[in-house]
Amino acid sequence: MKKILMLTLLLVIVIGAVTACGSNNKSGSETGTNTATASNTSNASEAPAEKVKLSFWHTWTGDDNLTKAYLKLIDQFQEDHPNITLDIQAMPQDAYKTRLKTAAAANEMPDVFLAWAGAMTKELVAGKAVRPLNDLLDSKPEWKNSFLANSFNDFTVDNQIYGIPTELTPTSLVYYNKSFFDQYGVKVPQTWDELKQAVEIFKKNNVIPIALGDKGSWLAQSCILSALADRVTGTEWFLNAAAQNGAKFTDPEFVKSLTYLQELAKIGAFQDGFISIDNVGQEQLYNQGKAAMFIEGAWAVTNLVTQSPKDILDATHVTILPAIPGGKGKANSTSGVVGAGPAISSNMDEAKKAAAYELVYALSGPEAQKMSVENNKLVSYKVDVPADKVSPLFAEVNQLVGTLEFSPVYDAALTSAGTDAVNNGLQELLLGGDPQKIAEKIQAAVAKSLGK
Amino acid sequence: MPTSGRLRWFIFIGLAPSVALFLLFVIAPMIWSVYYGFYDWSGIGDSRFIKLDNYKEVFDDPVFWKALKNNLIVVAASVFGQVPIALILALVLRKTSLFQRIVRGAIFMPMVLSSVVIGMIWQYMYHPQVGILNFALDWLQLGNLKRQWLGDPDIAMYSLTVPIVWNYIGLYLLLFMAALSNTPAEVDDAAKIDGASGARKLFAVTLPMIWGTIQVAVILCIAGSLKAFDLVFVMTGGGPAHGTELLATYMYNNTFNIYRFGYGSAISTVTIIISFMFIIISQLLLRRDQRQF
Repeated sequence: MKKILMLTLLLVIVIGAVTACGSNNKSGSETGTNTATASNTSNASEAPAEKVKLSFWHTWTGDDNLTKAYLKLIDQFQEDHPNITLDIQAMPQDAYKTRLKTAAAANEMPDVFLAWAGAMTKELVAGKAVRPLNDLLDSKPEWKNSFLANSFNDFTVDNQIYGIPTELTPTSLVYYNKSFFDQYGVKVPQTWDELKQAVEIFKKNNVIPIALGDKGSWLAQSCILSALADRVTGTEWFLNAAAQNGAKFTDPEFVKSLTYLQELAKIGAFQDGFISIDNVGQEQLYNQGKAAMFIEGAWAVTNLVTQSPKDILDATHVTILPAIPGGKGKANSTSGVVGAGPAISSNMDEAKKAAAYELVYALSGPEAQKMSVENNKLVSYKVDVPADKVSPLFAEVNQLVGTLEFSPVYDAALTSAGTDAVNNGLQELLLGGDPQKIAEKIQAAVAKSLGK
Repeated sequence: MPTSGRLRWFIFIGLAPSVALFLLFVIAPMIWSVYYGFYDWSGIGDSRFIKLDNYKEVFDDPVFWKALKNNLIVVAASVFGQVPIALILALVLRKTSLFQRIVRGAIFMPMVLSSVVIGMIWQYMYHPQVGILNFALDWLQLGNLKRQWLGDPDIAMYSLTVPIVWNYIGLYLLLFMAALSNTPAEVDDAAKIDGASGARKLFAVTLPMIWGTIQVAVILCIAGSLKAFDLVFVMTGGGPAHGTELLATYMYNNTFNIYRFGYGSAISTVTIIISFMFIIISQLLLRRDQRQF
């Protein structure tokens, strides 16, 4: 009997250890090395009376210069604020978004985190997971007024601003290799007909007119349709349709914009197999000198600058999609979002809030914005670009962006379910589906997700 | 009597940890997912009780039926691909010469590779521009057979079954080889004395001897295929335009891409029921077959 007792006891201990290990592991990995270094630095300097511990999640995990600059900024912040201990978790973007969702669902939001403007902000606000930053912005008017017009729109819900933009991302820019245009005497297309002619000529000469990689299914939506459809339908129609407010995706103007996109596929503007490769693949085709153009967001500049062969990089220039005859939208515009920015959790006390404000300001204040531009990242903040610090291509994009107006990007304005329907619908469309039926599916998904 | 009582206690205590873990991590989430299926919930914020609406939507959703059909393709490819091929290979590779050992190793290799690696390898093989498959077809003067293997919704699902079958043959090969080496040598001798050889010995002696293992293999195959996810997720993500959506990828996309946790849960629940049905049906079919031998 004694033996059995002992055995039971042993088992209890083992199970206890297993489960305890489970939870220990979790917090262990969350805390990570960053806390250790943070608390070391804070111990070294004179510790003020009140210590605040902030959890902070971000996505700066890459190896590029901007990431390094941000990490340095965070280190600097920790040095300057010995009373604030940061508990940092860095994750790649896709994992981060899923993780943040899960944390919001479990009511375990980190104190400070990066939020994306648009749909994500709306969903977080609906879940009461974020806290407005208006008083922080109002306390530093000079800072607030240096942001470009409309910067806060996608972070705003009911006049409350929930995030500070740290980047501006035009999602639809046409990158073209000028040497191909010169070689075959093609004009850089300003109108839809000129674009069709250019496609015709490049095809005849065995050059891929437009490299496309839509495996991820977001590219055709975010980088092409958002700008193209805006040309046809105008911004107002889209915002109404996205809110199901008197406009529907089955309206003729939207079906017409789908038809325009499909026309490109039908005349062979894209290479074969565009659905099996992703945006990296389309850049590769362009870098190999096989394609005359590709359409992608401003983020491609960084990739081109670091990866393109020199002759191709030097011949690369940027423009926007051509005007569309009879369209309701502005021709001198392209789609863009302000991207991610720091936000804070709704659930914290005053001392924590003050510390969180410090961190938010450090991450999105004038210094941080300047740092981004110097590292080839567009921001929606008034900063002069130092010509010696950025690549010529970036300077060109920066200049182009300054002359444009921005229209909403579909995936930032639509619900997640609506975006999914558009993404899949466009794949179907590019493979030859019926625009009218696809528009009906999109309309059904958007209406359903809004409960209308 | 005291001994057996003690033994029973010991069995109970010995099983308790794994039963507890099983209840906690398998049964409880299953019940939760049935429960969430009754709610309209975006993952964050308030959830709304909507009775059977999610389940009704599942049955009305054309993409769900497409995903089920795709899953059936995977089940068919696995049951009629993996099991027979593995069985034939096991019979051929019974001896332990160096050559056979190398072949066995080669067949088993994909089992030790991560599915992401396998997905990437096959993605490059199927690549429309630089893929080895289209190159090979060109080289064989069969250029007109070139396809966009993963880009054409009509054939993408079939293209995907090839790596799925290839990936798991090693496992079944191992199962069958173990079963074959466990057949008693006396039976072989008896068959020899009775003058049975070749095909007759195979069908009258060897196969019936390992029928139990074949049954297990088929059930593993069906269960594995119904929860197939990783390779498809890596290679196509369910695209193009839902063309290669499986039940699991569709559930994942609904839950984690478009944040319909309730609907995703309803899909999982229906998937569980379908899987149970398949396992039961296959059990019944195979049991009847056994009596014929």
